[in-house]
Amino acid sequence: MNRTLEQILPKVQKPARYTGGEYNAVVKDRREVDLRYALCFPDTYEIGMSNLGCRILYGVMNQEKGVWCERCYAPWGDMEEAMRREGLLLYGLESGDPIADFNIIGFSLGYEMAYTNVLNMLDLAGLPLRSEDRPQLTPLVVAGGTCCYNPEPLAPFVDFFVLGEGEEVTLEYIELYRQAREECWTKEEFLQEAARIPGIYVPSFYEPVYHSDGTLAEMRIQEGSGAPERVTKRVVQDMDKSYFPVKTIIPSTEIVHDRVMLELFRGCIRGCRFCQAGYVYRPVRNRSPQLLAQYGKAACEDSGYQEMTLSSLSSTDYPCLLELCDDLLDYCAPRDIGLSLPSLRADTFSMNLMERLQRVRKGGLTFAPEAGTQRLRDAINKNLREEDLMQSVRTAFAGGWSGVKLYFMLGLPTETDEDVRGIADLARKVYFAWRECTPNKARGVRITVSTSWFVPKPHTAFQWDAQIPVEEYQRRVDLLRDELKRDKSITYNWHDPQTSYLEAIFSRGDRRLADVLERAWEQGAKMDSWSEYFDFDRWMKAFQDCGLDGDFYAHRERGREEVFPWCRIDPMVTTDFLWHEREKCYQSQTTPDCRTRCSGCGANRLLKGGVCNG
Amino acid sequence: MADRLLFSKTGRARYISHLDLMRTFQRAFARAKIPIKHTEGFHPHPFVSIALPLSVGYSSQCEILEFGLLEGTDPLEVPERLTAAMPEGITVHQCYPAQRKLKELAFVNYIMSFEYPEGRPQECEPALAELLGRESLVVQKKSNKSKKGYTEVDLISLIREWSAECQSDAMAVSMVVSAQNPGLNPELIRAAFCETYPQFSPQFVSFHRREILDQEGKIFR
Repeated sequence: MNRTLEQILPKVQKPARYTGGEYNAVVKDRREVDLRYALCFPDTYEIGMSNLGCRILYGVMNQEKGVWCERCYAPWGDMEEAMRREGLLLYGLESGDPIADFNIIGFSLGYEMAYTNVLNMLDLAGLPLRSEDRPQLTPLVVAGGTCCYNPEPLAPFVDFFVLGEGEEVTLEYIELYRQAREECWTKEEFLQEAARIPGIYVPSFYEPVYHSDGTLAEMRIQEGSGAPERVTKRVVQDMDKSYFPVKTIIPSTEIVHDRVMLELFRGCIRGCRFCQAGYVYRPVRNRSPQLLAQYGKAACEDSGYQEMTLSSLSSTDYPCLLELCDDLLDYCAPRDIGLSLPSLRADTFSMNLMERLQRVRKGGLTFAPEAGTQRLRDAINKNLREEDLMQSVRTAFAGGWSGVKLYFMLGLPTETDEDVRGIADLARKVYFAWRECTPNKARGVRITVSTSWFVPKPHTAFQWDAQIPVEEYQRRVDLLRDELKRDKSITYNWHDPQTSYLEAIFSRGDRRLADVLERAWEQGAKMDSWSEYFDFDRWMKAFQDCGLDGDFYAHRERGREEVFPWCRIDPMVTTDFLWHEREKCYQSQTTPDCRTRCSGCGANRLLKGGVCNG
Repeated sequence: MADRLLFSKTGRARYISHLDLMRTFQRAFARAKIPIKHTEGFHPHPFVSIALPLSVGYSSQCEILEFGLLEGTDPLEVPERLTAAMPEGITVHQCYPAQRKLKELAFVNYIMSFEYPEGRPQECEPALAELLGRESLVVQKKSNKSKKGYTEVDLISLIREWSAECQSDAMAVSMVVSAQNPGLNPELIRAAFCETYPQFSPQFVSFHRREILDQEGKIFR
């Protein structure tokens, strides 16, 4: 271990985050690898290590001969300070070598508030932030993850973005890089070739051209670059043939999701109109239950974990869920291994399933009705009926559960005060259901209502809509708080509006926001999803310094014909479909789920044969 | 009585905290398919207990963990199988039934390495000798139990013996100190030295637990 690091570590909090060496961490012989890859997650170790996507890519890359993929996370403030003071550059956890010397540096982008950490990590690595200031082929800086469906705010910093699922395309661009290095291509030459790989967006080949009112006129393709009109996202065709991390790193210190994560399927059949994941992860592709049971058991054996979670966008929509649960429980129950489902839809949550899970351990229950009235739930296509929710909580309470969390959003398109009050009504109905059904009144009940401020996202039916102004959001919070203040068994939490405002700006922002990001970072912004570090005034100052207005991005309704910063990105769900969904919202009309009837979104075109297996 | 493991904790594993290490052992037993006794009660979990918690950042070649081996596993196989299931830096050396009570563990031998990369001052050894030769050396020690937030301990009474070995850029201090009730963390000695003789403060001090001893000064297992 590096001497400097050895001297720093005793002085920082939770040093085990910075050492590597965990069980199953991959250490290769430097002399036997020709490609070093730093898989970076722009948040702390505890958060980054909980990301299933990164575990998959780590496994996929390290299976390859000659490729050594290492992990890298954002150091906490005390560690960063020590590293800067001692001149220790950001390093890969496995080798301790500086990532600036690696061939490829890849970032996983899951949420906008981590953007400043990307800049901070590049700086800690000792690299120039902007792509144009890194003229050499090596190291390449790439990014993938859900945020890349609008990559523009980070465009100047990243050499290319990867759209969609990374299992295949990662190996393709690694191969291309090897060829480029072999044949001494320039970075420009490499990027031109990379842009031909489906799923790769090279931002420097697209130049934003603006109208005088600040809206986009076009994303102009650089002449002669050969960059495609639209970059189509990548998907894995057959989930049964895709890599699953059975043997994966078991951290020696606690992380957020410290358990076996079993990914049942990708995509979601539901089509909630606000949900970016629901649209961009289409089409639905299931893993077979036999294979999943086998993976789940093997992963428990290899990890020693005492907990397993079934993780997918809407796990209860998995067609063979009962069969799978039974199979897994036969294994888990005698071994005291807990089995949990993090995402429940109240409508499919049957007594049957609950009893199965209860056989081992009883956790809390979380439902996300998202809106308080049936009218608004229909408008956002959250096809959840109040009767179903009530039926589910009655079952749960009768079964002895005594805590329910209910998640809602405020500021959804078409929301009225009646909808806001509807949240309080629904929570009260849940409370009465408890009184009616609980076998043990003395134990009491915990009902938690949480609201967030709706953030319109790219590639959703609401990509044209405005986020409501902050004063209006605050008014609706106050209205709901007032409604609930007499109910002692109901706790109300609401999300602080400042980060949601910034999310709204950056999720639909254009390339000009890169200057704001850099400015905010220069002024000390980092770890913006952590209240210890977040400073709203610093951000407002950065907007001012750059002459940009956040409201233009967050609170402005867009017209049907507006050119979006993400117009070159194609998740294969058509704009016409999204617009049609939006119109149906304003008429409070629902769209059935994919399994009931195909709504023709276009994502089926991603599959060979053109038929989804929803 | 319980079963014991003798293991070392070095390299990257030095930074695993006490609680994390217990969790790591619980998982490692499961990974190695070595069934062990569980606690009784509402949430049974595999029982493991570490005799003398080691400060984060210290290395050790003499850690003891207590647990209960269930029938069906040959204790002789345990070290190899368990080590294979461990993170880098933890090596299990022995697995044996406990013969003596843990409270007989009286002393610990630590090696403290005072590092002076720019050259060791000649006078650092006599300075240390002066300090440790005093009648008493009372320092404040953080304490959650005390109202004041600290308690006072006399380091001299807790040190059984010490010796130093000097090199051009380092001083290795071997120290036998009280293990428990109360135990002495050698960090307190470092701090007292640096406070008394700031001009001889080393750039860095590393701590290594070399041996655990009983009241007579014989090796404890």
